[in-house]
Amino acid sequence: MTSASKVDALSSPELSVKLFVTDATKVDLEELIPVFHRWIREDLLEDEVAIDVAGYAHVPKGPGVTLICDHAHYAFDERAGRFGLRYRGRRVARGSGKDAIVGAFRRVLRGAALLEKEPALAGKYRFATGRIEFGISDRLLAPSGAETLAALRPTLEAALKEVYEAPAKSIALASGPREPLLAAVEAGASPSVDALLDRLAAVAR
Amino acid sequence: MSGGAMKGPSWAEKLADRMPEELRREIDIFETQMELRRRSEVDEKLFAETRLRRGVYGQRYDNGHRYDGERTRHLGYREHPTKGVDTVWDAPGMVRIKIPYGAMTREQMDVLAALAEDYSDGISHVTTRQDIQLHFVHIEDTPDLMRRLAAVGITTREACGNSIRNITGCPLAGVCKTEAFDISPYAEATMRFLLGHPDVQDFGRKVKPAFSGCAHEACGLVNMHDFGYIAKTRSENGKTRKGFAFYVGGGLGAIPHEAQLVSEFVTQEELLPLTQAVCRVFARLGEKENRGRARIKFLVAKLGIEEFRELVFEERAKLPHDPRWTAYIADLPKYKETALKSGAPLPPAKNGEHSSAFRAWYRSNVRPQRQEGYAVVTVKLPLGDITSDQMRALADVAGEFTGDNVRLTVEQNIVLRWIREADLPKLHAALEAIDLSEAGAEGIGDLTSCPGTDTCKLGIASSRGLTAELRKEVAKLDLASDDALKGLRIKSSGCFNSCGQHHIADLGFYGISRKKGNRLVPHFQVVLGGKWTENAGSFGLATLAIPSKNIPEVVRRVTSRFAKERAGDESFTAFIERLGKVEVKSFLQDLTEIPSYEEDPSYYSDWGDPRVYTMDDYGEGECAGEIVPLIEFGLQASEREVFEAQLFFDAGDFDQAKSMAYRAMLTAAKSLVKTEFLDITDDVNHIVKEFRARFHDTKRFHDKFAGAKFANYLFAAHEVSGNGGRQDLARQRVQEAQLFIEAAYACYEKMSTTGAPA
Repeated sequence: MTSASKVDALSSPELSVKLFVTDATKVDLEELIPVFHRWIREDLLEDEVAIDVAGYAHVPKGPGVTLICDHAHYAFDERAGRFGLRYRGRRVARGSGKDAIVGAFRRVLRGAALLEKEPALAGKYRFATGRIEFGISDRLLAPSGAETLAALRPTLEAALKEVYEAPAKSIALASGPREPLLAAVEAGASPSVDALLDRLAAVAR
Repeated sequence: MSGGAMKGPSWAEKLADRMPEELRREIDIFETQMELRRRSEVDEKLFAETRLRRGVYGQRYDNGHRYDGERTRHLGYREHPTKGVDTVWDAPGMVRIKIPYGAMTREQMDVLAALAEDYSDGISHVTTRQDIQLHFVHIEDTPDLMRRLAAVGITTREACGNSIRNITGCPLAGVCKTEAFDISPYAEATMRFLLGHPDVQDFGRKVKPAFSGCAHEACGLVNMHDFGYIAKTRSENGKTRKGFAFYVGGGLGAIPHEAQLVSEFVTQEELLPLTQAVCRVFARLGEKENRGRARIKFLVAKLGIEEFRELVFEERAKLPHDPRWTAYIADLPKYKETALKSGAPLPPAKNGEHSSAFRAWYRSNVRPQRQEGYAVVTVKLPLGDITSDQMRALADVAGEFTGDNVRLTVEQNIVLRWIREADLPKLHAALEAIDLSEAGAEGIGDLTSCPGTDTCKLGIASSRGLTAELRKEVAKLDLASDDALKGLRIKSSGCFNSCGQHHIADLGFYGISRKKGNRLVPHFQVVLGGKWTENAGSFGLATLAIPSKNIPEVVRRVTSRFAKERAGDESFTAFIERLGKVEVKSFLQDLTEIPSYEEDPSYYSDWGDPRVYTMDDYGEGECAGEIVPLIEFGLQASEREVFEAQLFFDAGDFDQAKSMAYRAMLTAAKSLVKTEFLDITDDVNHIVKEFRARFHDTKRFHDKFAGAKFANYLFAAHEVSGNGGRQDLARQRVQEAQLFIEAAYACYEKMSTTGAPA
């Protein structure tokens, strides 16, 4: 066993999950700025200390519009040319192992549900759940590579099974060695955002 | 997975062999200072200035409050000691990374990309002073961030605070057709000499230096810098000598000052000592209390350049010799950029060979080098922002076309130098693939902006929001029909402090606020006709305050009138002068009108920020740093050393504990001596001798009851230093060091109350 695989990549707080929108042509990054400001004003992300909104609509394929919180970033980004909502933990690990991954899913799904129901967006934003992106932005604990992914695969699979109630169809490395670790996940099911949230709420009970 | 898993090595361990020892040690020290501040064992002002001098800056809302559009809310950070006055420890901040004269290697670009992803929001922001800024960074991440930079030869030291800031330089240095010679190795030598130099630690405010290769072009912007150097040559006895015209006291800010000439020709032998002499004069005579008048420009204005010059040359004559003044000259011939490929011209285009996008890009973003067959290519960054994916990909593009010949510019762009002209079509395609092939560099579509209210505590209006909007506006202009419009420059600042360099733009804007009824409305002051060329040759004319939402119309009207009415090849500066302030005001006057909130609420919020506009988030900036007497840094260092001595003791390393405790006493003693004798060396015998003569023999260090007891701890340690480390002796030495430092503080306090220099 090499040193990288011995390291607990999932002890990093920097876990991320991205859900992609179903119709990228409807995306207008600038209209998301007032939406995220309202989230802050109305405390819609109850367990986050939401600080500010960073707007990068002028940067192609960038972080888009990012809601900066004390322990997370919620970015409606366009990385690699694909629009979606990305939750990324920051600073403080929220749970460990499988629970940390499920927690990241819960948070991104909550954000996606808010966007789907956002009155100002009039239902333009819908999220697919069948293909998602999982990542760890921590080059020290989780360097991008097959070895790291292999080491965390069993825990990731267990978490995906808990979220989707079905085993994942595929998990593949989606990042180069100089990038943060990213895995493209094809889930075993593609329920609605609300259905997944309901399921996770039931599991939590 | 977690069962049986283990933590990997830390960055400190992983990079131990790659960091220069001095940087490694400095970062460890900063981490210890953070720990001491967490325990409230370091004063918050002192820690604030300490972190600023490490490039760790505050950011908007870091006082723990934010206006949400309806009310100011308390942000629920965990309780912690502050990291500065009214600055919450947990609040994210900005890290400024100095890139001297903008020169970056591909390896450095790779690391910068990674840091932006790991600690920030995935964006590297290029500043108007060739720095990279990362925003939303948490202070606990900064030591590792610095280590990763140190491993590729970058330091954040003195990127902020009252010190020598990044040394900027013409990004075309070495390849420019009009330069006297390449300023790059001189900027590098000056940076190395001044970094951490004892004579730059006691300024009342920051100092920004800039190097330029010639007087005519804009690139170095020497006229608006605290220290400015313009390369010149002179013929002496049939030989060509290299040197610099040396200027001081330039600056923008609320009231711009043009730099004044200190010396017409400073030889390369005198470059560093004369700079050092200026630093000493500024440290000694510059304002320390009133921060608004503490920049060197105010000292120069107060004394007059003649008296200032006299003082500088007097100081120069007194300086103790330093071999580093000239040591760098022997290394100058070694400085050389290497082209990746041999030069070759761009072959004449066959019909339809190049796309219109390539042709537009070629016209605006490509500049032939002095060296035949090569070109400099400007990679235009919107608002100075580049994603980590782009930065990495750009490093790869550089690797394919030019190697490490990459520089940041003060117009918030990146240039690739030594590009073989024949490769330009391929390079354009490669840049197009990563969305970095936008045409219009160095012209009206290449707008500059400081961070403004997006992240800056001092921001009054959203300069970035405005700039993003003006980018769209400019894209609609008919530039094809009028070449003169293409070359205009638009620059915006969020406040009067001019980080966006609005004074030297053709169309400059800086944020202010105005009241309408009982509501505030974001405005920009319109500054027209500044001169970018001739090293920021002259400053623009402030005309009138216009609501933020009407600024795009200002741009439309002014550019349209210039296009229609300019006489022949009249410059924009000359056109505005001819028009006169009265006429300019008159044709923009109607734009000052503000509809009521009920008529149009959009006027009451800013570009890119839908919240109802307020000044409630305006805070005290950290640009001015904290005024901390030099001695307090020394005493703080001694406290940190005694803390480290205690750690060695706890770890059972008694020899190191003793040695570090002795060093702590020396540091405290040296700090006291330095209040009277700036040139005290690091030689331990010298320190002890001077301390004895100045503080022990005069009884100034004596305790009211214990007399010379505490001073004797130092003398005893000095006499027996180097012997082995017994536990009881080590404990005693650490305790003595703590008492010695307390006595040093008491002595400093007595000096302060009796008015002795501190």
